[in-house]
Amino acid sequence: MVKIPVKILIVDDEKDFVEMFSLRLNRQGEKVSAAYSGQEALDLLEKTKIDVVILDIRMPGMDGIETLKKIKARYPLIEVILLTGHGSTETAVEGMKSGAFDYLMKPADFEDISEKLTNAWNRKNEQEERIRKAEARLLLRRTGEI
Amino acid sequence: MEINTLENDTGTVVRVLLVDDEDNYRNAIARRLERRNLVVSQAPDGTACLEYLGENEVDVVVLDMKMPGMSGMETFKDISKYYPGLKVIFLTGNAALSEGVEGIKAGAFDYLSKPVEIDHLAGKIRQAWELKRLEEGRERDKIFRRRLEKRMIHTQRLASLGTMSTGIAHEINNPLAIIKESTGFLRMVIESADQIPEKEMLFKGLEKIENSVDRARRITHQLLGYVRKHGHELTSVDIRRLTEDTVALIKQKTQAKKVSVQWESEPEREMLMHTDPFQVRQVLINLLENAVDAVDTNGQIRLALYRKEQSVCLEVRDNGSGIAPENMKQIFDPFFTTKPNVAENESGTGLGLFVVHKIMTGLSGSIHVESEPGQGTTFKICLPEWQSD
Repeated sequence: MVKIPVKILIVDDEKDFVEMFSLRLNRQGEKVSAAYSGQEALDLLEKTKIDVVILDIRMPGMDGIETLKKIKARYPLIEVILLTGHGSTETAVEGMKSGAFDYLMKPADFEDISEKLTNAWNRKNEQEERIRKAEARLLLRRTGEI
Repeated sequence: MEINTLENDTGTVVRVLLVDDEDNYRNAIARRLERRNLVVSQAPDGTACLEYLGENEVDVVVLDMKMPGMSGMETFKDISKYYPGLKVIFLTGNAALSEGVEGIKAGAFDYLSKPVEIDHLAGKIRQAWELKRLEEGRERDKIFRRRLEKRMIHTQRLASLGTMSTGIAHEINNPLAIIKESTGFLRMVIESADQIPEKEMLFKGLEKIENSVDRARRITHQLLGYVRKHGHELTSVDIRRLTEDTVALIKQKTQAKKVSVQWESEPEREMLMHTDPFQVRQVLINLLENAVDAVDTNGQIRLALYRKEQSVCLEVRDNGSGIAPENMKQIFDPFFTTKPNVAENESGTGLGLFVVHKIMTGLSGSIHVESEPGQGTTFKICLPEWQSD
């Protein structure tokens, strides 16, 4: 079975973490991009097609929650998984209320990450599938009207 | 007479020791003081006075200045040295005013010149006794305040330690994540490569790194109160059910050690707490797991649930090894543990009770511990009762 790579963007100011995490995901067959700040992530999303963003909550400058809100406003179909390094899971919950798919506590188990990535990706695919179908119906109706 | 107002104003006994070398005089005074409801003992000289004080409780000493053998002043100096709380009233000769002043300067309560008017003496004795009582009260307050301050300092220290350790825990999670990802990546590389010497040893090394990361993660996550997944909203919590659920949750652990967990007596239905169920569950898990760790195989854990002054209290009593008195002060400190620190994932992090304490304080509850080494330990937690309106 040929694996379809998930296009992942990792956003974290911890460069070492981003590097190792990308290596691992790449090796697993995913297509990984990296950004080291919220702004960098938004810039990158303008040029690159991404399925799932893995986003650290605590970053200098634009923090994770703010970045999340902007991503969801511009690209509602992109799924975001939050990473939190600290105990304020309340922030993570707030993030989920703002549209994040799920969250993980650092350091997270790779199996957990993989599972959540797959689920997030599936949800995005299903959503896109529904949109395609809806568009097709719309198209049919229009042609029917002519 | 103003002094009379002090007489008989309380039912408490005033114990007087009368020291004078003139037997007849002493007896007469004693009798007359007794008639005024004072409890009077007598001593003929300074030595007898000190002997008496060594074996009996006295409030006020009435001391003749001029005595053969030990003088009144000498006797007084010994009294104030060995019984600093005692009040002394000097009796001086008619013309010896300077002696009396000297006595007061040395710290006596007052002096009276012979011949004394008995009501005056009785009044002075009661005044002296009032002062003694007041001073004792102040002393008690002081000790109480000092103890309170000490406890507050301890609580503050715990709080700042808590803040500091959560800060550290947070910072440590990031490098931990890097180590974990790096190790995971190395494992992937080694797994897919064929020609690597000592592959098994490499895996062994990686496993050790991974286990250590997990161990460190347990510490940081526990410190950060990982349980607070659901925020902390206070609701009505059926503590009996929560307790029984939690007991079921750790069944594996109790069964493995054949530990019985039971209610001491059937608790009444519908005992509701006003609290955060998730945090209380964490408290219960920590307390119950500690109890299981403390007992031997076939040990017993008894639970009691009752209401007390608008609180609901739960007791977790084990018949385990108990807590050594010298450890009692430290059990709520972070990183304090007596559980063997083996490099397994079952060793104590020293954070269980620290977290319990933190949660209980945060929920406006209280926690008490009693322990008898070799007999067992009882933890009691109390939380506000749910008010239905």
